[in-house]
Amino acid sequence: MKLHQKGYLLVELSQVANAWDYELIAIALQEYGVSGSRWVNTFRVALDELASAGLTTIIDKKLDDGTYAGKDKVLFQYRLNEFGRTRMRETGLLTDD
Amino acid sequence: MSHITLDQALHKHYARNQRWGFTWALWTAILWGAWYVPGTALWFEAPYSLIDANNQSLVLAATAVMTWVHAVSVLFFLFIWNLMLGKSGDYVRTLVRFRKISKWYALASLCGGPMAIFGSYMAMGFIGPVFAAITSLFYPVIGAIIARLWYKEKITSRAALGMFIIILGGGVIFGPELLGELDFNNSNVWLGYLGAIMAAIGWGAEGAVAARAMDVSDPDSGIQCRFTFEVLFWSIIILPLIALLTDVPVLQLITDTLSNGMAMLWIVLGSACHAYSYTAFYKSFGLIGVTRGEAIGNLHAAFAVLFVVVFTLDLPAWYFFAGLFLATAGSLVMFTEPAESVAQLREQETSI
Repeated sequence: MKLHQKGYLLVELSQVANAWDYELIAIALQEYGVSGSRWVNTFRVALDELASAGLTTIIDKKLDDGTYAGKDKVLFQYRLNEFGRTRMRETGLLTDD
Repeated sequence: MSHITLDQALHKHYARNQRWGFTWALWTAILWGAWYVPGTALWFEAPYSLIDANNQSLVLAATAVMTWVHAVSVLFFLFIWNLMLGKSGDYVRTLVRFRKISKWYALASLCGGPMAIFGSYMAMGFIGPVFAAITSLFYPVIGAIIARLWYKEKITSRAALGMFIIILGGGVIFGPELLGELDFNNSNVWLGYLGAIMAAIGWGAEGAVAARAMDVSDPDSGIQCRFTFEVLFWSIIILPLIALLTDVPVLQLITDTLSNGMAMLWIVLGSACHAYSYTAFYKSFGLIGVTRGEAIGNLHAAFAVLFVVVFTLDLPAWYFFAGLFLATAGSLVMFTEPAESVAQLREQETSI
């Protein structure tokens, strides 16, 4: 069975040094076989929640020229931090370092 | 060429999150307040209207049956909600990870269901509804303390001030009626106090516990998990135990409830309110935090009175308007926080 969506985003982020939101959203859309702006926004909100809960850290941001989320929207680059790794271990999403 | 700077766009981004968070929390309060109308009307329908109020064991068993039918109905509405959102698959994927994730929703359901709702009914039954309503207003304080100590949720002085003013407003709405309700000669009064403590701790803890699970899972899926567990607790443990260990006619209460069209109508209306009130409640936590979400949810006290006024056309006393003013002022104090205050809801280590 596939992972639940927020768990999947965390696992994908844990496997790279850092990633832009549009990169994570693109692979999540593919993983769950969904498309459209509603799903893009659903994953964007999930990434926002992960950052505000302190599991990920925003390391860079830039303005979208309209290619990904919409013109003048902010694009975020995330990195999984130590608290995020701890929470992933506690919730069985990460089994080794 | 862009018309706005990155800082302006960032401010807009956080302002939008803040607005959505408070909008969800406000829907929590509106629908929670609306729930009191069908929730109270249900007590005037058979089999509940036929129960002797002095028969406490039967009243408590009837409450358990009512809560169980209600929870099943809420679960149905949440099933529809997630089906429409295309999140049914995510609900199943979250639910099956019991040992590590959905156990927190199971715990949240115990806090919010058998502990808080039952405790609230005990406070109503052994002291009175006004006492129950006032004491439940303190649940955001419990939630804020747990969230602060457990996972270091940031509580700004402005959020704390807003919460204090909202609780004060709730106290002004119900307070003047409380003195007429207290009866210190009643030997069962301690059960009312115990129930009130259970309600405040239960609802406060539910938000904090559920938010812990929502660290790594979706709130829409999470709320359906929470009610799945509540239905299981009532169905597999609590109701069978009541039926086995007491002589209360649990099965008869269930069949009488299900066969009374009016009782079921009130339950279905109440469940629709409760299902989406709870959904909004959980969705607000990720955007504005447990402290703000629960404090704004406390506005249900004012909305409950307003809905009763709409249905009875009976104008409330003057102090209701004073309380409503305070509760609204408290909400505004919170809402006028800088949008960036919701960007980071918890204290975070600086190393990345």
